[in-house]
Amino acid sequence: MVLDKKDDRNVWEKIGDYFSANSIWMKWYCTGCGAIEMPPTMTSRFDMERLGMGPMATPRQADVLLITGYLSTKTLRRVIYSYEQMNSPRFIVAFGSCTINGGIYYDSYATIGRLDKYLPVDLYISGCMPRPETIMNGFSGLIEMIKKGEAKGWKHYQENYEWYKKNQLDSLGKIIIEDEFHE
Amino acid sequence: MNVMNFVYGFIVLVCVFIFQTTLTGLNRKVTARLQKRYGARWYQQFLDIFKALRKDSTSHGWVFDFGVIMALGGIMATVIFIPVAGFQAFPGLDNVFVISYLLAVGMLGMAMSAAGSGNPWASIGVARALTNMLAYDVPLMIVIFTMIFAFDSSSLSEISAMQQGMGILGWNAIRMPLGGIVAIIALLGMLGKKPFDSFIAPAEIASGPMVEYGGKHLGFMFILHEFMTFIEVSIILALFFGGGATIWEYLLKYAILYTFTNIISGVMPRFKIDQAVKYFFKLPLAMAIIQGLVVIFTGLGVTLWF
Amino acid sequence: MNLTIILAVTLVLAAASFFITRYNKMSGGFTTVLSSLFALVALFMMRGSIGEDFSIFYFNFSITTVGWYFSVVMLIAYSMTSFFNPFWMEKMMYPGSYNFLYLLSMAGTIGMFFAKDFITLFIFWETVVWSSTFIIQLGKSRKASYIYYVVSAIGSMGTLFAIMLAYSVSGTFVISEAFAGLSGGVAIAVFFTFILSGLAKIGIFPFHVWLPEAHGSAPHTFSPVLSGGLVKMGAFIAFLSVTAFPAYDIFADMFKIMGKPFPIYFLMFLGAISIIVGTLMAIKQEDAKRLLAYSSVANGGYILIGILMMDQVGFAGGMMHLINHAVASAAAFLAIAAVAYRTGTTKMSEMGGMIHRMPVTYLVYLIAIISMAGIPPMGGFVSKWLIFQGLAKDGMLFLAAAAFFGSIGSFMYVFRPLSAVFLGQTFTRDLKKKEVGFFMMFPMIILTLLSLLTGVFPNIFLRVIAEIQTSVGIDPITLANRTILTSNGYLDAFRVFIVFGFGFAIAFVLFVVRRKSRKVELMDTFTSAEFIHTRELLHYSSKFYAPFERLYDKAPDTLTAYKKLAVKVGELGGMVESLFYGHKPEKTVFWMMAVGIIVILIGGVV
Repeated sequence: MVLDKKDDRNVWEKIGDYFSANSIWMKWYCTGCGAIEMPPTMTSRFDMERLGMGPMATPRQADVLLITGYLSTKTLRRVIYSYEQMNSPRFIVAFGSCTINGGIYYDSYATIGRLDKYLPVDLYISGCMPRPETIMNGFSGLIEMIKKGEAKGWKHYQENYEWYKKNQLDSLGKIIIEDEFHE
Repeated sequence: MNVMNFVYGFIVLVCVFIFQTTLTGLNRKVTARLQKRYGARWYQQFLDIFKALRKDSTSHGWVFDFGVIMALGGIMATVIFIPVAGFQAFPGLDNVFVISYLLAVGMLGMAMSAAGSGNPWASIGVARALTNMLAYDVPLMIVIFTMIFAFDSSSLSEISAMQQGMGILGWNAIRMPLGGIVAIIALLGMLGKKPFDSFIAPAEIASGPMVEYGGKHLGFMFILHEFMTFIEVSIILALFFGGGATIWEYLLKYAILYTFTNIISGVMPRFKIDQAVKYFFKLPLAMAIIQGLVVIFTGLGVTLWF
Repeated sequence: MNLTIILAVTLVLAAASFFITRYNKMSGGFTTVLSSLFALVALFMMRGSIGEDFSIFYFNFSITTVGWYFSVVMLIAYSMTSFFNPFWMEKMMYPGSYNFLYLLSMAGTIGMFFAKDFITLFIFWETVVWSSTFIIQLGKSRKASYIYYVVSAIGSMGTLFAIMLAYSVSGTFVISEAFAGLSGGVAIAVFFTFILSGLAKIGIFPFHVWLPEAHGSAPHTFSPVLSGGLVKMGAFIAFLSVTAFPAYDIFADMFKIMGKPFPIYFLMFLGAISIIVGTLMAIKQEDAKRLLAYSSVANGGYILIGILMMDQVGFAGGMMHLINHAVASAAAFLAIAAVAYRTGTTKMSEMGGMIHRMPVTYLVYLIAIISMAGIPPMGGFVSKWLIFQGLAKDGMLFLAAAAFFGSIGSFMYVFRPLSAVFLGQTFTRDLKKKEVGFFMMFPMIILTLLSLLTGVFPNIFLRVIAEIQTSVGIDPITLANRTILTSNGYLDAFRVFIVFGFGFAIAFVLFVVRRKSRKVELMDTFTSAEFIHTRELLHYSSKFYAPFERLYDKAPDTLTAYKKLAVKVGELGGMVESLFYGHKPEKTVFWMMAVGIIVILIGGVV
């Protein structure tokens, strides 16, 4: 979580952040078991579109990447690749306790313990898995953060790029691999 | 042709953009109500476009950028030619063939930049879009040809002027009913709405041509889509539903026609592309040919029925 | 400048180039460049001497506007293509003969368009056919030149028969008087056999089988000439068949369909079928040159429909489509030839992403296909607009349906080489290729500018066509300053171009106001986050329109139909042979005596 709350935007960035907050497109990428709570949030009962959020197919078009649940090392490679294909300003919202401290897979050799070491997270939504009401609450919080200029994860990633890369390579070895079955 | 024409053209562009984007936002609410939910705000489409324009973007080369500019430029030029309630920014250039083929410039520019991104999904989407164009254009062009023969004019403002002043019975959709039905089905195909939207299928081919667009390119694509919708609905409105004698009548008819097509598409699934081609070459083509033969050989429908 | 001087110079240079090539191949190629440029400039300046007559030996020529128009179009194709000749000399098997035959066929076309009587026309026509047959053989396959010659020979024999039959009625070979006094069944026979060579040369169904073979396998520097030039020779015969004949007067009391006499409507119907067949077959092709050959079939259908309409608007559209198609098709073939020069292949599945190495060739090809597909602001739009307006005025529904189908289907097939060859991923072996040299870029740029000129200022060409229309007795097309006026609509191509530029300027300003994009390389693309390292796997080029092609996969192919017909004729001959020429001599003697007795009896009765 990025704790820097200083607001140093100029007036164009404030207007731009107003637009970014009210129209967030999520990358349609279901990384873990928390993704089962996304379809109810998107469809008629809880209706995410009221907040201006909607799904988009590719990382180039998307604003927010949802890490829904545990993250195995295999998936982490793809998530890092997708995150670097996204266009700034980009946000990451992490669902579930697996992203905070490992959750119920805290002692697994194949999943990561803390997402914060590898990718900059703007908002955590705790729970195992969080229900749609919690998710909508969290998204409203994200909208407020973006309007106030507090969702600066992407800037933090650019400024501390070497630190993030070192953590990623320490855990994964290589990010872009040649052959999956003989890694 | 002097500076005032260009100024009028620019004003037309801005007004069309504001009107169409608001209408799209309202139609998102209509679709949402069809699905028993509240839906987005009525100005959500504006927020989407400005957010997309505000983001940074990635580019794959000069043809990627150039194609997007060419597409939007061609479509903006076409919008300037459309007659709205008798007012034209450039008088006399609203020939229906010019407008249909300038639309193709937009499609070609988008296809060029999509294929220039190097992503095979984009090429598949473009191939499907071109096949779709072949499917809906042939019946529609036959009906338009019939009308040019019947009214001896191929200008949109003249054909719409000939339908006014006689109430609802003067509309070509009532006088030539088969042609009107073909026109609405072809309009669904042109707008890329279900059941004919397999070239933008998000989960199947990762949104087709728009797969590598981000930031300002995506914003341009959204603006392009708004203008293209305006042009296509305007063509059908002018040819079949009598245009509009005043601006308010025009905007009202336009809104009703667009919402009508939106409601139809809101309850339909999606055709595969060869199913779409086979469909268009069966019933709509037959109806268009029968309508054409009736008008050319008997003259029924050129004058009022009652 | 005398026409005979131009012909003589071309023939002398043809012979000279044969010998020069023996010493230095590139110089032989440059001789063709010089000769064709000289002929183009000299013929262009002969505009002033329209109406004069020349004769040399037994050949009689007369300079007419229509002959001038056709020959300038032809020579544009020849001269621009000749710039590519010097660079292909190394790979050609018989470079000397190639240069000689190239210039000989050019001389043949010049002589043909200005011919005053039919014998001159036929001699020069056959010169062109023979010389191009031998050039096609220098390409990839011999079978192509057989098929080309057979179809051309059917046409030529038909025309010769028609000329002789007309001579037996009217007693003269002079073109403007040879068809006088024809009527009834003789008129129909003369009409259909005369236009046979025109149909064969344009490539109208069912004579279109030679186009994909010949254009696809000819040497890369001759295909632009074949498609942009020689096909127009057939259009000239079609023109003669409605003007010199004159078809509308002779058939004036025949059964009429939509106001056109039945024989003419039948030919226009064949033109419509060839538009549909050409479009559908072009969508299926995997080789870029065969695809462009089928597009020539489709465009030939448009030209035929336009010319046969013989009215104010449609005729002008057909004649304008001549120059538009010649320029666009030659430019497209030249662009493909330039790519083949660098990569060595024209199969679309083996190439990709050439725009990053050859951007100028890409722009040339792009503008050529914008014109071929009939999109404003290029020239193809103006001619197709004229044909559509002409068809709409007469109410010819099925022809218009075929014309629309061809026009929209052409978006599909012209886009395919653009996307498969120029756009998409660059193959690993092509990452270091370079653009072609300036000498090869020059003709492509000239053709592109010509395409733009016909689109933005079409009235320059339409004024010449209006003269042609008055010279054959139909109302000329109405032109006013920069506008084209027809009875059901009008077009101002220049203003369309200006507004297009205005829209482009607004979009451009909107684009550069925002921050500059981050440049990423081609392989960094959305692959559902999978890591792909082979460039060739991410390129979508073969079976491009597979869902659409599946709809008509099982349709019969005309060439196989002809082959089956040939097999059946062979079997018929075999049956006759077994009946009359058996192993036993009694059979043969019996049949000879029987036939002899019957002939004597009939001869005696008659």
